[in-house]
Amino acid sequence: MRTVVALMWLGLAACTTAPAPADPELSSLGKHEVTAELLEIPGPFPANDLYNYAFVFKYRVRQVHRGSVPPGEIFVGHYNPRKPRAAAADEESGTIGGRVGQFRAGDVHRMALAEPLDHHWMGGIIDKYFEQKGTRYWAVWTNPASR
Amino acid sequence: MRLFVWWTALALGAAPGTPPVATPDREAAALQREIARNGWIVYSAITERGDWDLFRSRPDGSERCNLTRTSDTHELGGRFSPDGRRILFRRIGKDTKFNHDRWGALGQLVIANGDGTNPVAQGVAGDYPWASWSPDGAQVACLTRNGIEIRDLASGRVVRSLDRRGIYQQLFWSPNGRWFTGTANTYGENWTVIRIHAETGEANPVHKFQNCTPDWSPDSKRIIFSSRPANQGDDEGLSQAAGQKPDYGWTQLLIADGDGANRMLVYGEDGRHIYGGALSPDGKYVLFTRAARDGGMGEATIHVMRLRDAPVVGGVSAALRKRYPQAKRGPVVAVATGWEPHWSNGPAAGPK
Repeated sequence: MRTVVALMWLGLAACTTAPAPADPELSSLGKHEVTAELLEIPGPFPANDLYNYAFVFKYRVRQVHRGSVPPGEIFVGHYNPRKPRAAAADEESGTIGGRVGQFRAGDVHRMALAEPLDHHWMGGIIDKYFEQKGTRYWAVWTNPASR
Repeated sequence: MRLFVWWTALALGAAPGTPPVATPDREAAALQREIARNGWIVYSAITERGDWDLFRSRPDGSERCNLTRTSDTHELGGRFSPDGRRILFRRIGKDTKFNHDRWGALGQLVIANGDGTNPVAQGVAGDYPWASWSPDGAQVACLTRNGIEIRDLASGRVVRSLDRRGIYQQLFWSPNGRWFTGTANTYGENWTVIRIHAETGEANPVHKFQNCTPDWSPDSKRIIFSSRPANQGDDEGLSQAAGQKPDYGWTQLLIADGDGANRMLVYGEDGRHIYGGALSPDGKYVLFTRAARDGGMGEATIHVMRLRDAPVVGGVSAALRKRYPQAKRGPVVAVATGWEPHWSNGPAAGPK
């Protein structure tokens, strides 16, 4: 009986708990803020033992919260995507961060974006979509979002 | 005689797990005599105080002289002006973190006489990133986020700019002024060495996938660069000794025409990463650095070989010799410990 009550309480708590407050960085950093779905991971991520790089992903925009990002598919460069966003920033990257721990196709992210990518990261860029035109955005802040 | 013993010791001083460079002493001694009076080289090396200073020596390592003697700053990336009378380099704060491929945008650009006297800082820290001499030495090409900027040294003004076409480091202006080369993000890969026409801005790849540190031949027709090919199939023991993953591979020194044609191995060695390729002013000799760890600036040694002896494969290098069965074993002369060497046949002693 005690277990049932505890589970009910937990369930109630889960239903009434407010979503985590949005990171202020999402609404203040970069030029745009979007919610978008990560469509695919185009190949393995090289190691970060010695060389840092940005890796370009393809997203589908679901909502533009700030700025002016075109609807449909966009290309976003993430710095050293092997690392959780909270641990990715270093002296070369400048300010980046967020709560995404791992990049998985199908996940939805809420991101603060800057552009163009190569003005914000002057280093190695792996862009498997190089034959497709379009702005390359720089992911400044990346949080998980509900699907 | 002491020098002879010294370079022999360096040549034989391989890290654990790697056989020495196999160079018959007689051939190496002959090469050493050839280059002994053939101009000067400048390079960066760690001093006994633990900082990096600029050194100048003969190409065989003799007449070595510390040009900067600073204990509170590092000096890196020395390049002689085309007439050999001046050098440019970066002066970087001693507490600044740097590595083997990002130093060119750090600290201040300094221009001094070829003997290190009268050093004059150009602008503030971060200015003139990756500065590279124009053919007449009156301008430098710089690599900024906005593009390649040609700056007049007398006035400091940007007199022209063009798209950098994805180059993000290691920009070098050709001796005839018609081209740029650098390490770029293009064609889906980073670390692609490209060439850009200085007037039209048109670019072409020289070699894609894991290349860097390009530099020009004296006639501006060829580019020497480092490359780490995939699937080298080398001995895992060598990788373990260097603390790298088994399939990481070893960086080799290549040369190719400016359009990427006629690419060939210059020097390679399983168990060593080869960087800093530079040609002598007469185009006959090759400078390079050799280190067990990729990016191992502090442990690197500078070497010289003849270009006409290429390809040369050092050490046992079972996997590389299988790929290049006709490769020679040398001769190769070890010059000094150091990084980013550059060669000039000028007087290296300042303005007339």
